[in-house]
Amino acid sequence: MIPLAWYLIFSAGLFSIGLLGVLVRKNAVSILMGVELMLNAVNINLLAFWRYLWAPEVDAQVFVAVVLIAAAAEAVVGLALIISAYRRRQTVVVDEMNLLKG
Amino acid sequence: MSAFQIVFLLIALLTLFSALMVVFARKTIHSAFWLILALFGVAATFATLAASFFVVIQVAVYIGAIAILIIFTVMLTRRSMEESGDQLLPGWGWAALVVLIVFGGLVFMLLQWQGIFQPPQVLTAGGENLENLGMALVMPDRYVIPFEVASVLLVAAMIGAIYVAGDHKKRS
Amino acid sequence: MNPAPFELSMLLAILPEILLVVLAALVLLLNLGVRHRAEGVLGWLTAIGLAVIAVLSAVFARPGDTPQLIFGGMLRLDWVSFSFRLLFLLGAAITVLVSLEHARTITGEYLALLLVSTLGMSLMASSANLIMLYLAIETTSLPLYLLAGYYVENQKSVESGIKYMLYGAVTSAVMLYGFSLLFGLSGTANLAMIPFRLTQTGVSPLLVGGALFLTLVGFGFKVSAAPFHFWAPDVYEGAPTPIAGFLSTASKAAGFAVLVRVLLVTFPQLASFWTLVVAILAALSMIVGNLLALTQRNIKRLLAYSSIAQAGYILVGVAADSPLGVAGMVYYLTSYLVTNLAAFAIVWLVAQQVGSEDLDAFSGLGKRNPAIALAMLISLLSLGGIPPLSGFIGKVLVFAAAVEAGQVALAIIGVLTSVIGLYYYLTVMKILYRPAVDEAPLKPSLSWRTAMLICVVLMLALGVIVAPWYGQSLAAASALF
Repeated sequence: MIPLAWYLIFSAGLFSIGLLGVLVRKNAVSILMGVELMLNAVNINLLAFWRYLWAPEVDAQVFVAVVLIAAAAEAVVGLALIISAYRRRQTVVVDEMNLLKG
Repeated sequence: MSAFQIVFLLIALLTLFSALMVVFARKTIHSAFWLILALFGVAATFATLAASFFVVIQVAVYIGAIAILIIFTVMLTRRSMEESGDQLLPGWGWAALVVLIVFGGLVFMLLQWQGIFQPPQVLTAGGENLENLGMALVMPDRYVIPFEVASVLLVAAMIGAIYVAGDHKKRS
Repeated sequence: MNPAPFELSMLLAILPEILLVVLAALVLLLNLGVRHRAEGVLGWLTAIGLAVIAVLSAVFARPGDTPQLIFGGMLRLDWVSFSFRLLFLLGAAITVLVSLEHARTITGEYLALLLVSTLGMSLMASSANLIMLYLAIETTSLPLYLLAGYYVENQKSVESGIKYMLYGAVTSAVMLYGFSLLFGLSGTANLAMIPFRLTQTGVSPLLVGGALFLTLVGFGFKVSAAPFHFWAPDVYEGAPTPIAGFLSTASKAAGFAVLVRVLLVTFPQLASFWTLVVAILAALSMIVGNLLALTQRNIKRLLAYSSIAQAGYILVGVAADSPLGVAGMVYYLTSYLVTNLAAFAIVWLVAQQVGSEDLDAFSGLGKRNPAIALAMLISLLSLGGIPPLSGFIGKVLVFAAAVEAGQVALAIIGVLTSVIGLYYYLTVMKILYRPAVDEAPLKPSLSWRTAMLICVVLMLALGVIVAPWYGQSLAAASALF
């Protein structure tokens, strides 16, 4: 049987890689991809805890569903803003967006 | 080591490798394809957790909707993406160090707790109990408020996204 | 405390939220029929609607003597949620009225997003459940990302939207990871149950502390406390000015409502740990915000750094971990809401006329419209904490709470940085009464004047007549202890 610890460490790894993507990529779309990886790590956490500790209860599943919905909405909003920025400036690189520095 | 464990390790390694490729791929579109593979890996992980409903949802929502949306965006904003050059910020080595510390900290914290070596719960024939999940989502004594609020959130996000991403030059 | 079983009368408790959704839908529907000329009508409708909702919620959605968990423990009907809901409705109404000053801003989508965001804030303040709380935070944030990037023809606004969205998405993902650990370890999403279950399952305090730390990242972002403040100046500068005002007041207040609830209800055992963390955040915010504000030439960036500093003062109240501290926090937030909204409204009006947001754009305001210059003077003095204005009472309360809790050092840092704050507020005041080339009189619209009148009256009233709202704040505080 797989110990719960494996899942949690796997999830922590995925979360960290997502965080790395957020921190190092220049491109706004890539940063969003990093966020998606982090949210997936959360879902692995939730389902692993559910399976190993709280299985018959459905609360964790509701939580996972809510996270999925929020992730979808967040992706829609984020990508809409990115497309809007691209229309203005033809760039989606966060690094180049330097109008707002001071 | 049982076969099940080996399967899990393979899935985990594949997912983590794809995730790393999402971060380090040179072209954004390649990142997006690696992201799809990573999301499949997560779906397979859900399968090892006997959460078949969420395997389907993961494929439908994450891969079918979010990843495809990301690929569309990458293609729509192609000109700026094709500009080659380093996709990474200059000081990425330091960021990697920070992230390693975060990972180490998380694992250290988790290992403090004895409960993580527990065996899994025995699932009854009902498995993940989808009927209960459905009931919980619409019962006033359970999760009806989050359920309704989620729908408001989705509608608002959609309306706002349409406005913001719309082409306003054509309109006026 | 177990959640009460569902009764139809519980619908009354969420009547304000239901009405907000109805109002948003109504505005969207009317938007289809109304042409450009008449868009002011929609704005007035929304503002009046918000006022009606505020009255109805004050009458029908009052909490009873004891706090009550409703809808299966999703929401908690208590004086915290009640007070904060009124605060959000007031902030939203003022924001709408101020936005009306410039017709370009007001479309059905803008108003609907603002309403949905207000709905999210109201739910944030009353959430008693992790799942509900996460959803409420997202419901607040997503419309605000869109609103920050709402001027699609304006480069700065679009970038502001993207920056806000990226920072927000990342910090909320980190916070959510903390939530998932808390939820997974305790097996319950009920905020009040989590500490008991954690004790039962014998989770080490270190692990819980780690989860708390991850959670604080998300909350720190929402309240724009240092070191999670980097987004604030950029986002405020680029966002449409009324939205910047809304972000810096109502959204921040919602963050604080969640912060105190989670800290006090879910982490009572770790109080010594989180009071230390919050105290450090408070000190950092006060120092960083005030020092960086000194160097700013753009009024919106100056107000952004000032709002980081204000978050620091409010955190002083939270760090006290006492009823007085929480009451001070509520009072401070109320005063700060009306004050900062007034300041941003004036910036909005002047920047529209002059076409610049530099400090120099404000020179000669004393000649151009003495009443507005006076209003700006009052709000800056209130931000600086000068009696008899509301900001003074807020500062006294939080610093008193810090001293009472034995955090004298924090109170001293607060007082010292307040003096620095006063310096740059005075710089702006001096500019107001400097002669300028352009002395054309400013004529704001009726809606703008209404909003300003409400703000100024409340600023003075909260500064002079302390008792009623202080009593309300204490009631809110006692619901958490």
